[in-house]
Amino acid sequence: MGKTIIEKIIQDHTQDEVSPGRIVWMDLDVRTARDFGGPNVVKNFEREYGEIPVENPRKTFFTFDLCVPACSLKYAENQQVCRLFARKKGIRIFDVDSGIGSHVLIEEGLARARRTVVGTDSHMNILGAVSCFGQGMGDVDITFAFKTGKTWFEVPETVKVVIEGIPSSSTGAKDLALFILKNLGTKKAALKAVEFTGDVFRRFALSDRITLCSMVTEMAGIIGFIPEFDASVEKQIEGFMGVPYEPYAADGDAVYADTIRINAAGLVPQVSVPFLPHKVEDVACLTEIPIDTGFIGSCTNGRTEDIARAARVLKGRKVKDGVSLKIVPATRRVYRELLENGILENLFMSGAIISNPGCGGCAEGHIGLTGSGETQVSTGNRNFEGKQGKGRTYLAGPEVVAASCILGRMGTPEDL
Amino acid sequence: MKSSRVFKYGDNVNTDVIYPGKYTYSLLEPEEMARHALEDLDPGFADKVQAGDVIVAGKNFGCGSSREQAASCLKYAGVRAVIAVSFARIFFRNAINQGLPVLSSPEAAEKLEEGDRIEIDFKQGEIRSDRGVFSFPPFPDSVLGILEAGGLIPYTKEKLKKERGTGCRS
Repeated sequence: MGKTIIEKIIQDHTQDEVSPGRIVWMDLDVRTARDFGGPNVVKNFEREYGEIPVENPRKTFFTFDLCVPACSLKYAENQQVCRLFARKKGIRIFDVDSGIGSHVLIEEGLARARRTVVGTDSHMNILGAVSCFGQGMGDVDITFAFKTGKTWFEVPETVKVVIEGIPSSSTGAKDLALFILKNLGTKKAALKAVEFTGDVFRRFALSDRITLCSMVTEMAGIIGFIPEFDASVEKQIEGFMGVPYEPYAADGDAVYADTIRINAAGLVPQVSVPFLPHKVEDVACLTEIPIDTGFIGSCTNGRTEDIARAARVLKGRKVKDGVSLKIVPATRRVYRELLENGILENLFMSGAIISNPGCGGCAEGHIGLTGSGETQVSTGNRNFEGKQGKGRTYLAGPEVVAASCILGRMGTPEDL
Repeated sequence: MKSSRVFKYGDNVNTDVIYPGKYTYSLLEPEEMARHALEDLDPGFADKVQAGDVIVAGKNFGCGSSREQAASCLKYAGVRAVIAVSFARIFFRNAINQGLPVLSSPEAAEKLEEGDRIEIDFKQGEIRSDRGVFSFPPFPDSVLGILEAGGLIPYTKEKLKKERGTGCRS
């Protein structure tokens, strides 16, 4: 019987028979912990295993991305706990200057097609964007992975999500991701791997792939893959990562739990309404909502291409008086690219606040929480109550966030 | 008298309300973690819950961040099991790894109400209550092994002892 993409990757990493529903012991090519969860990994490891080395320090990493550099004593202490442990065990740290761990792993070519990677980040399945198995886990799982290089994993079923039609040119990957999330909710892809297919994906750039795959977490899925790509995308990914792009394709006779068709023809800009990511509406329905602040960044929309989309809207315009726009590049590499191509200057002239790389406001980290009654429009991936403070957060693509901050109300570039 | 009392909640109970983010940055002791369990969903929970009680909820329980504490705080609060229509994957793993049984039973999740008394038979895969007997799929052997050992770390230690004949530091 044929295998789906996730089944092939898992089969490469286990002696056990791979079929949906079976629990296998699988080898992990890369195991990471960040400044959230990492300190507990260290605590667990030292309590349980003491002076025993980690399984393979060259496959083990810390990535600091949440509160970078530390903005509270607790974070400072926690990061230092990880640093001291890393020095002792010979583990490399991508420290507070690096940016979002999952993105750094892609940039460094550590997370690449056919590999298996875990970390203490619930959006680690973003690595499906480069056809790599990625999975977020808790600190006990990661402690175990540090110690053994393995994890237990239930092979998920795979659903095929077929996107029909081509969205309107006023939309980007985030609008499509939100629209798919609206259609799948938290049930249709729950606990399953997803293979997204459709003509729209052939020219999906790496940043677009990252945006969609990051939001499989909100769909309650295990991981998403986008097997379709044309030669230009392949070239882009290889040039970006500096390693050949050799993704698995599913076998012709692979078995899918379900095939879900979604018609995205003529899709218009989308926005997720507080306090559930899958509560999605057309931006056009919500143009009365006043906006106090905007955030562009996160593992979902923090690439150079994402920020450049916002910059095109902002060029020659100003963020409205009384409104703030916070921009956080995903990584140091993104920051450098924005600096070199002049985008940072444009953003600055428009009145935006530009932070050093990292996760930004998504997890009560740097660059701003909201207060009671404050309304934020964000390119992040979650808008749970209390997640980014006491206010209300809407989720949208970079163009909508930029336009809304210029208008002082929810809107698209076409409203300017 | 059935042993476990039911605390009932809705769909999409996320890890931020199970264990608020602001406490995740400190390495707290189990007793203190237990005091913050479900703080932003049901502020009275920590005072009311008694050892052996169960949580019953809707779909996608434990969605959101990967924080281990969402599972461990419930265990430390004395929660015997969580019964839900479905679970978010990371929470499900964390609960198993903590030795906290997570049972998927849409029927039980629908019928059971706040304050009900129930009994769980893990071997038979049954939840017994005055509202009926509800079944849940039994755990595969590998998961049962982890649960019975009291979590992934105790399980590993047992496994390492068996494999190598030497224990790790206890």
